[in-house]
Amino acid sequence: MIQNKYSFIALIIFLFVGPFLFPNATITEMLIFGIVAISTNIMLGYTGMLSFGQALFFGTSAYISGLMLLGGFPLFLAIPVATLGSFIISLFVGYFCVKREGLYFICLTFAFNQMFYFIAYVWTEVTGGEDGLVGVERPTYIDSQLTFYIFTAIMFLLAVLALYKIVTSPLGLIFKLIRENASRAEAIGYNVRYYKLISFSIASTFTGLAGSLYVLIHSMVPIDQIHWLKSGDIIFMTLFGGVGSFLGPLIGVVGYIWLSDTFSIIWARWPLIMGVIFAIVVLYFRGGMSELLENLFKKYKAISRKTEHEQDIKNTKLN
Amino acid sequence: MNKILKIQNLTKNFGNVSAVSNISIEVEEGTIHSIIGPNGAGKSTFFNMISGVIPPSDGYVYYKDKDITGFESYKLPHMGIAKCFQITNVFPKLTVKENVWASIFSCSHKSKIDLFKSMNDFEAIDKETKKIVSDVGLSHKIDDKAEELSHGQQRMLEMAITLGAKPDLLLLDEPTQGLAPEATVEMTELIRQLSKKYTILLIEHKMHIVMEISKIITVLNFGEKIEEGSPNKIKNSKKVQDAYLGRK
Repeated sequence: MIQNKYSFIALIIFLFVGPFLFPNATITEMLIFGIVAISTNIMLGYTGMLSFGQALFFGTSAYISGLMLLGGFPLFLAIPVATLGSFIISLFVGYFCVKREGLYFICLTFAFNQMFYFIAYVWTEVTGGEDGLVGVERPTYIDSQLTFYIFTAIMFLLAVLALYKIVTSPLGLIFKLIRENASRAEAIGYNVRYYKLISFSIASTFTGLAGSLYVLIHSMVPIDQIHWLKSGDIIFMTLFGGVGSFLGPLIGVVGYIWLSDTFSIIWARWPLIMGVIFAIVVLYFRGGMSELLENLFKKYKAISRKTEHEQDIKNTKLN
Repeated sequence: MNKILKIQNLTKNFGNVSAVSNISIEVEEGTIHSIIGPNGAGKSTFFNMISGVIPPSDGYVYYKDKDITGFESYKLPHMGIAKCFQITNVFPKLTVKENVWASIFSCSHKSKIDLFKSMNDFEAIDKETKKIVSDVGLSHKIDDKAEELSHGQQRMLEMAITLGAKPDLLLLDEPTQGLAPEATVEMTELIRQLSKKYTILLIEHKMHIVMEISKIITVLNFGEKIEEGSPNKIKNSKKVQDAYLGRK
């Protein structure tokens, strides 16, 4: 509980300091993918389901939102409709995917992702095909980078609070039961397949919400946002940050976007460096960056407690 | 006496092999009814069919006169049937409290809205959790993770999870398996205490326990029922002796 309090204080500070540390478009992108990674962690870290299909919901929602804005609909209608669209698709896709476990579940999510990708690719009149959906304009009230950042930060905070409410509710506990021991969860009365579908839908709906915001960053939806490689990026970011804590995946998002932005300027083959970093994290820091930071914090506290203790002994001797 | 569980001609075939063949038993309410038999007798298959893990090929399972044949296992706790596994089966990374709390919540939450409430909103479940954890002697470990408990303590936790469902009928699959002698005595005593509140269908290898606490014993061999009756009758049955000694 205390750890969560510190994490949330750090998060609020980050929201205020972020725009001074990173370019506006970068920090806004970090918050949008923050929603994606934290919600994906509900499925991955809490329920133990690895999906390679999250770009499906991100991309589809971005297209719906973009098309509605191009059609003259207000943003405050486009976002809920796009998010609702993701929810409905997630129920359809999830219904089939949760029938299988492990590798077969992964393959199904991957297959659905690519199905939607090819639909977007060939349906050029609607999606813009390979060129993506272009010409989407932000409403005037979030036209400047700063106002758009504030708007995204508010949406991010609301999403994080909603997701936190879920993980600290009995539903969050049920997700953990399924991750730990699905057959036992079934034996004590939980319909595992049903709760897996709920977890899948929550992750996908919030990913959809993020997708509906993404279209506003660069005023377009590139086709690669619905490609399975984007799903891979989402998994990378979540694992890099750490699935063991609620806000851990956000650290992964910040690290991933910052590193890829930095390395891509220095060297054209930058994904190679990311691959090496990912291998190191998986091999030596299974809990991701959040666990590494937590361990460092614990070590620091232990050392400062030891120093204090030694100082006390010295003082006692002097007296 | 009321028959809480009636099993009629239960059969399970795996291809041409019949693992359980035409077994019928009736379990009296408020008693311990044990199922015994040598290795490969079909006890676990029989048990798994009752508890909804595998569907039977033929036959019926009636619980309180309701046909529950082939029901999915997650439905049974809501009807009053709880199962304790042969292999220790807990939620290792969760605390003792969370393990038991989740089991109680499963059968006691009233609506879907409860799923989204705060965990602190369920005082009655918290109280019940503490009581059950105390009943199995794990109060001092309530905030420890299940994986940090000894094997004997995990077996007790397993029992606590099972009791969390507030069942009328307890299905116990070798609850003393792998326990040290002292822990076996504790578990036997716990089962004896539980029999005052619940009807128990017990599968157990340790004959002295079965003979000591059962009211009725059913003996299986090669998937068939070969004998049934009081512990005394079973002790003196030639058929049972032959089965255990491998005589035809």
